Amino acid sequence: MKHIKTLVTRNLKESMKKGGCGECQTSCQSACKTSCTVGNQRCEKAK
Amino acid sequence: MIHRYKNNGYNIVLDVNSGSVHVVDELVYRILPFVEDLMKEGRKDAGAVKEAVLDRIHSAWAGEEPVNAADEEISEAVEEILELEAEGLLFAPDIYENYVYDFKKRRTVVKALCLHIAHDCNLACKYCFAEEGEYHGRRALMSFEVGKKALDFLVANSGNRVNLEVDFFGGEPLMNWDVVKRLVEYGRSLEPAYNKKFRFTLTTNGVLLNEEILEFANKEMSNLVLSIDGRKQIHDRMRPFRGGQGSYDLIVPKFQRAAESREQLNYYVRGTFTRNNLDFSEDVLHLADLGFKQISVEPVVAPPEADYSIREEDLPKLKEEYDKLAAEMLRRKREGNGFQFFHFMIDLEGGPCVAKRLSGCGSGTEYLAVTPWGDLYPCHQFVGNEKFLMGNVEEGILREDIRDQFKCCNVYAKEKCRDCFARFYCSGGCAANAYNFHGDVNATYDVGCELERKRVECAIMLKAAEM
Ligand code: SF4
Ligand code: SF4
Repeated sequence: MKHIKTLVTRNLKESMKKGGCGECQTSCQSACKTSCTVGNQRCEKAK
Repeated sequence: MIHRYKNNGYNIVLDVNSGSVHVVDELVYRILPFVEDLMKEGRKDAGAVKEAVLDRIHSAWAGEEPVNAADEEISEAVEEILELEAEGLLFAPDIYENYVYDFKKRRTVVKALCLHIAHDCNLACKYCFAEEGEYHGRRALMSFEVGKKALDFLVANSGNRVNLEVDFFGGEPLMNWDVVKRLVEYGRSLEPAYNKKFRFTLTTNGVLLNEEILEFANKEMSNLVLSIDGRKQIHDRMRPFRGGQGSYDLIVPKFQRAAESREQLNYYVRGTFTRNNLDFSEDVLHLADLGFKQISVEPVVAPPEADYSIREEDLPKLKEEYDKLAAEMLRRKREGNGFQFFHFMIDLEGGPCVAKRLSGCGSGTEYLAVTPWGDLYPCHQFVGNEKFLMGNVEEGILREDIRDQFKCCNVYAKEKCRDCFARFYCSGGCAANAYNFHGDVNATYDVGCELERKRVECAIMLKAAEM
């Protein structure tokens, strides 16, 4: 495309199908202890 | 729903529901909102859309800055937009709401505990929500017996989850180091029989950190959180010893050694910024200059009456700081001298599934804090507030009503989150912040939200810049 460049991203809709195993890290546990951010968590299955 | 913004010279478009990120030229940036309106009206025929866009550009936008593009160019841009729409990467509908119809019915397991190993501290940090380790209560050290019951409780309530997280927290956990070591050993002994895997984290202010502790931590702790605020004067002002003298000079070399011994991975130097250092990007860069590669510096969680708490009028300055930091990080990265800033980390390719993104921070449900005497609270921020006492490690959760209330801390249960572009990255914000400011764990804390949105914008920009 000439006008638009698209980044590779995980399709959220697709993730509905296989997701929800709950094995990934609890948000607050990861480092911060004050704020919830999930965008940076890694899916355990994507490793 | 799309979110469109400019940052550091990039025109970025986030398609909220698909999670797609596009970097677009000025022309597409200008016409996108109009195409979105047309889509909402159900006009998807390419010819009709092109015509409507051209029409609009030639007439209605007369008062605005002109779009300098030939008609063919504009048509081409519209075609690209429609192509992405057809692929589900633009204007994707919100299909998730239906999946989360009744939050209270959602069954949850406990998979993470924050163990308050020591309600005592050798520092007297000004903003400490633990009130110098005392947490509105008596000083106490967790006994091995209580810790053991906590781990048993976790294993028993974790269902079929394999990965369990345990954070040794305080006060200052190194003041009760022997118990930490024995609990790690006990946890490991449970792993094979129950098919569990413990991931331990140690959070420390560094005062007592030594080689023996480091060696153990490097073997057993998946993560090490080292508390330091940044520049010496900032750190020493907020993190003094009880006698008033600063702790910076003592801990910096220890932390540098710790970071190196972990090969600059699986640790964070973790600082807090307050109203006293609104120019916190300087503190982040200071930590980077000290050689740290994993940095997390975050806004304080404090009651509004505290003189150091962040206020609405501080927002423009703080947003500017995030932008400045992002631009500088990019510059350093390109020079081969990059570092990670926790709040700008975003995993677009391998990030969590929607289920995770919708479920909130987990406090009160899958994540609980345990006091030295074994009481359970929704998270470390609520410890000591009797209203939130949920049970204890012996008898388990006694107040299911509290747990159910925390199940509603997520983006579809909160009015404001529903229309927020950051909802799949933020997951609904911090319940403790909401409670501090609004007396309701299910409220949204607007100052926090503004900052969160800014961070998501910066994080995505940094990804776009890698392209
Ligand atoms: S930034 Fe605020 S409004 Fe947006 S999703 Fe997070 S908590 Fe909700
Ligand atoms: S309520 Fe706030 S501090 Fe507590 S676990 Fe959630 S995000 Fe973390």
